[in-house]
Amino acid sequence: ILLIFSCSRAKDVTMPAKLPVSFFSARSPVIDLFRGQLDYAEQLRQDSEVVLYFFYAPWCGQSIAAREEIEHVASRLSDQVLFVAINCWWNQGKCRKQKHFFYFPVIHLYHRSFGPIEYKGPMSAVYIEKFVRRVMTPLLYISSRSKLLDFLSNYEPGVVGYFEFNASPQPPGYLTFFTSALHSLKKDYLGTIRFGVITDKRVAQEISLEHSGSVYLHRHANTSLIYPKDIMNYTAENICKWALENREMLIRWLRPHGGKSLLLNNELKKGPALLIFIPYDPLAEIHPLLDEITKVALEYHKCNKSQAAEPDLQHLGDTDSPAFDSSVTDAHLKLSEPLSITKYPCCNTVVLPQWHSISRTHNVCELCVNQTLGVKPNKVHVPHCNFLEIEAALDSFYLQEHTFFQVISNTIECSNFLSFYSPFSYYTACCRTVNRHFLSFLSSEKTIFQTPKVAFSSHGKKGNTQFSIPHIEDRNCFIPDFNVSSMNITGLSCRTNKTLNLYLLDSNLFWIYAERLGASRSTHLKEFAAIVDMKEEVHYVLDQNQSLVGPTLENFIKNFSVLYSPLKRHLVDEPSAPFQEQRVLTEVTTHTFREIVFSSEKNVLLLYYAQWCGFCASLNHIFIQLARLLPPDNFTVARIDVTRNDLPWEFMTDRLPTILFFPHQRKEQSVKFPEDFSVNLPNLLKFILHHSSLSASEPCTKECQHKESVLQQGHISHLEREIHKLRSEISALHQAHDQLEAQLSEARRDEQRLQQQKHTLEKQHKTLQLHSEQLQATYDQKNQELLEMAEKLQELADASENLLKENALLRILVASREGKLQSRDEIKEPLQSEQTLSEDNDVSPSTATARLEEKKIDNIDTIETEHSSGNRTE
Amino acid sequence: GGGRAGPGLSAVCLCCRERVRAMFYHAYEHYLESAFPYDELRPLTCDGQDTWGSFSLTLIDALDTLLILGNVSEFQRVVNVLQEGVDFDIDVNASVFETNIRVVGGLLSAHLLSRKAGVEVEAGWPCSGPLLRMAEEAARKLLPAFQTPTGMPYGTVNLLHGVNPGETPVTCTAGIGTFIVEFATLSHLTGDPVFEDVARKALKALWKNRSDIGLVGNHIDVITAKWVAQDAGIGAGVDSYFEYLVKGAILLQDKELMSMFLDYNKAIKNYTKFDDWYLWVQMYKGTVSMPVFQSLEAYWPGLQSLIGDVDNAMRTFLNYYTVWKQFGGLPEFYNIPQGYTVDKREGYPLRPELIESAMYLYRATRDPTLLELGRDAVESIEKISKVDCGFATIKDLRDHRLDNRMESFFLAETIKYLYLLFDPDNFIHNDGSDFDVVVTPYGECVLNAGGYIFNTEAHPIDPAALHCCRKRKEEHWEVEDLMREFYSLKKTKKFTLKRPSDPGEGESAKDPEDTEKAGEKRSPKKSSHSVLSCPSQSFNSKLAVLGQVFLDNT
Repeated sequence: ILLIFSCSRAKDVTMPAKLPVSFFSARSPVIDLFRGQLDYAEQLRQDSEVVLYFFYAPWCGQSIAAREEIEHVASRLSDQVLFVAINCWWNQGKCRKQKHFFYFPVIHLYHRSFGPIEYKGPMSAVYIEKFVRRVMTPLLYISSRSKLLDFLSNYEPGVVGYFEFNASPQPPGYLTFFTSALHSLKKDYLGTIRFGVITDKRVAQEISLEHSGSVYLHRHANTSLIYPKDIMNYTAENICKWALENREMLIRWLRPHGGKSLLLNNELKKGPALLIFIPYDPLAEIHPLLDEITKVALEYHKCNKSQAAEPDLQHLGDTDSPAFDSSVTDAHLKLSEPLSITKYPCCNTVVLPQWHSISRTHNVCELCVNQTLGVKPNKVHVPHCNFLEIEAALDSFYLQEHTFFQVISNTIECSNFLSFYSPFSYYTACCRTVNRHFLSFLSSEKTIFQTPKVAFSSHGKKGNTQFSIPHIEDRNCFIPDFNVSSMNITGLSCRTNKTLNLYLLDSNLFWIYAERLGASRSTHLKEFAAIVDMKEEVHYVLDQNQSLVGPTLENFIKNFSVLYSPLKRHLVDEPSAPFQEQRVLTEVTTHTFREIVFSSEKNVLLLYYAQWCGFCASLNHIFIQLARLLPPDNFTVARIDVTRNDLPWEFMTDRLPTILFFPHQRKEQSVKFPEDFSVNLPNLLKFILHHSSLSASEPCTKECQHKESVLQQGHISHLEREIHKLRSEISALHQAHDQLEAQLSEARRDEQRLQQQKHTLEKQHKTLQLHSEQLQATYDQKNQELLEMAEKLQELADASENLLKENALLRILVASREGKLQSRDEIKEPLQSEQTLSEDNDVSPSTATARLEEKKIDNIDTIETEHSSGNRTE
Repeated sequence: GGGRAGPGLSAVCLCCRERVRAMFYHAYEHYLESAFPYDELRPLTCDGQDTWGSFSLTLIDALDTLLILGNVSEFQRVVNVLQEGVDFDIDVNASVFETNIRVVGGLLSAHLLSRKAGVEVEAGWPCSGPLLRMAEEAARKLLPAFQTPTGMPYGTVNLLHGVNPGETPVTCTAGIGTFIVEFATLSHLTGDPVFEDVARKALKALWKNRSDIGLVGNHIDVITAKWVAQDAGIGAGVDSYFEYLVKGAILLQDKELMSMFLDYNKAIKNYTKFDDWYLWVQMYKGTVSMPVFQSLEAYWPGLQSLIGDVDNAMRTFLNYYTVWKQFGGLPEFYNIPQGYTVDKREGYPLRPELIESAMYLYRATRDPTLLELGRDAVESIEKISKVDCGFATIKDLRDHRLDNRMESFFLAETIKYLYLLFDPDNFIHNDGSDFDVVVTPYGECVLNAGGYIFNTEAHPIDPAALHCCRKRKEEHWEVEDLMREFYSLKKTKKFTLKRPSDPGEGESAKDPEDTEKAGEKRSPKKSSHSVLSCPSQSFNSKLAVLGQVFLDNT
């Protein structure tokens, strides 16, 4: 059994996984629990206020890449934060048994008992460190007015809580507020909402917080809100949810996590988007460029001219923010001046949805809540908005929305209506119609009904425009400043029908998107801005010769917003197309398209291809052959990789490969190689011949004769090439012939050799046959001998049997003799002594014969064994 | 999370590429030392065994990888070793499918690459040569399997005696439809049409036996043409059938094969695709039979990218990548709703499919996510399966227990695709800017102009070579006539494009009922564009990198 077992085991040898070894170096500040001791990790957590768990799998590339980053963070924060790495893969470890992760690494943070807070941001040290710091101090302590201003002027939404700490060691609600700050890090792992706490009553009053325990959400463009404690339960989850739902998103960071995601899809579907790429260091104290951009964003979104949202900052009187007190001279704003709704405490701007796209007007309403009766106990002077009220007001407003659609006038009309929810308040909605043409000074002399030129046609229109005289958009279009100087960016987002959503991307992480949109690769400064309009399938790029600063960005936005936008569709081209004249196939790029295809004096055959398309790549050799065949003085065989080179709409194709022929002198009359023909050399030649532009009907002049002679010259050189080719073909044939000859002679030699071998083999066969006959003879002989031997044996056996018989007879004889002697003894006692003597003499010969017989039998036995052994050897 | 913040991609590429090279030599040298001339290395016991025959399979399979890694001298040495050492006149029962893709495919690609590798070729090359003769000999040993009433081949054949009496007539779909690339190449190079003919006949038999909803099952009886296993999907048992329809269409510029694939593709999308996963369904009813993802299915995104369906390919690829991240490899079966492996199917024999797709997709998108997968694969394979004697199959992905096998596709495919992923300037990626001109007794040929078609064992075939030997003299004279026309002033106008009566190479007219049926289905689409083309990429594909996907690209 043991033997069988070991045999079967040898068949399928397996080996358990190698035992885990440490993942971090011994000197690392990270505690490495490489045997997955989760229980020990939990123990460690008791001793430290903030703990970071790094769950990894030792085989995982992402874990290995993140290891360095974690070590870097740990080396900076190890005195305040405990870093524990846990191998959560080893199947004997506690961690693997208890946790079930779908990816690695997973980073969990704990602030005392609160957690886990999963970190889902980029795996880069600065971002991780920033997040850990946020977990360490989820609340920013705001000690003074200036700090408050700093806090509120940030573009990211801020939540402020006011708590008086003099009464008790910990004022009621503080812990909940603190937890809500941590909680928000769970939901909002990018940490966009910041939480601050005020303990000084005077500072709190700046934002009209009077009661300890109030929570305030700051908003720039719309009215700031106070957490409705009396309506919503005061829990950490609720505060967090409230802040997330009501925060302003004037400008958003986009941070794709790397897995499959619809983030960009969803954001770009909302409408045209301005993507701004800047290098961002989350740990830096100041971000001057970011501040500048957010200022533009704020202005762009500032539709509510009441300034109601910013009073606190205004009267704090800091010089830091010129954006807030920018004086407005726009004609439009003069118009809106009568609409002074500053007397209303609580307002929100609403842009009514459009009924039909051709509408040139835009309805903008200012919706304000009026608290008529002083019933509310806490009456405040400074706007003090309950978000629920605004919410309710919006609800009511949308219910009555239809009444506002009819409003098409240049005046402002206000209407009041009662709230459905509260008998004590009513809403005022002041709406005006903004003529969109108004935005564009260019259009001032044109009628409103003029159809705008279609600047961008879609793919489908290619057929129509194919034969028109092409124009290629100038991609480096510089827009003179006067074009837009008369327009102001303030509140532009509400006045235009091409509202932009603004996004920020960290170019340290996501520069690839900028490259895709045409950011030049030569630049070392990773700053870039582009407007992407997914619906129209176009994008525009901020001139990369200009530096990315506030004013250029403003101009960019303004240029996009006007009706007849001076921006040109950006065409991305191949980064570094090596232009080589001596190439057989001429490689065309966006840049060289016009030059090669239209300016040259040759017939051009252009192949649209993509490297990844299997149907294109397998045609390479045909085009190379064609290019080698056609007279190079009259023909260019060119190709363009359309994945890397954008072309003006009229030259785009929707299938690859596509073959276009641009005949010399009639370049605008390009023809397409019919798709139902197979692409091969004769077909291509026929196609070119059919469409190339050599008219034959003209009477032959001198010029024509010259032409003919040139052609003949070309033909001669072609034929010479052919002859050369044929020569080499002949030599190749000769070679093949020689080779065959050699093979043949070798084969003959082989045949001869085989013949010889056959002979020798036959001889050998004969000798072998002889040998076998001899062997047969010996065999027979031996057999005979054997038979004889058997006979002899038989004889011997017979003889021994006779002897045995004789022996038996003798025994009987002896027995009878003894019987007789005995009876004689009984009769003659006295004669006993004499008789005994004689008896002895009698017995001895009989025993002797018996012994002899035994010996004989022994002898036969030995003979028999000898015989058999001899038989075996034989 | 993602390690995007790392150093420049080119540095990552270079570093990983050299690690892959080291992996290759670790495995290759141990094979030569401990296992040659057996088929495969057994890495745990450091010895060899015969698995698919007795042809030193790993050596044949790894031959073109040597050239892709740039090792010309070893390539030359191995070519000599194979010419002397490999014998197909052996009494061995061999899988028709495996012998074709590994042996015939490996020898064909080595034959076509041998000039590039500096092997002194004979005058008739690429239409003759010792490796081509070996490939032909091996392929002829397989031909008896195709002698069935349906034309669909048996699964197993004895190399000496032909089909064994009492051999099972049940063959998997892939075992029937995975010949056209190698066999058509053989026919074009040698001039003997028998190979291409049997391959086409088998493909057509499958097409004829598809279900009413346009799907094929997993196993079929080649005598009676009855489906024995009726699971329809894109993975094990079917996979390379679809692959070869596309690759055959590209290699031979064959509209008929492509139309077949496009019809299958429609049915597959309709019935098996859910949330960018592909499930298994009953081939007649279309009801889901197994909600699993198979490791073998991961070739699909690569195939999609070849025909221009890059967006869908990327979406599916990202799904598959999550499975890799969960286990450090792809289990043979992965239950999608449960998010875990399936019992008895937890192994990962270092298969190449996901890496293969990453290589194709990287060509199309240059998305760094794909390099990340490559890096993950290098780390996983090195950390988990590297042993003293080579790289061992992972028997169970849950605990990373190892098995005593190193399949020959590890060196033929996994390593090759990994290396090519990290080596964008490899000659295999040639986009047509380089080419060779070869003078043969049959005329002048342009070769090695890129567009290599990989067979399903990752052996590259140069499509230009197919037009080299087969080049008919008529075509040559036709071109000559046309050229004369170019140099004369008086156009005779006799040269106009005539619609070919018989499109493609196939004998579609022979089966009127079937083509009619297929034509009916496609007729509205057919008029708009050729089936042998890719759609150009949509606007938002510019931003479809780093995991971003876009919906309704129309």
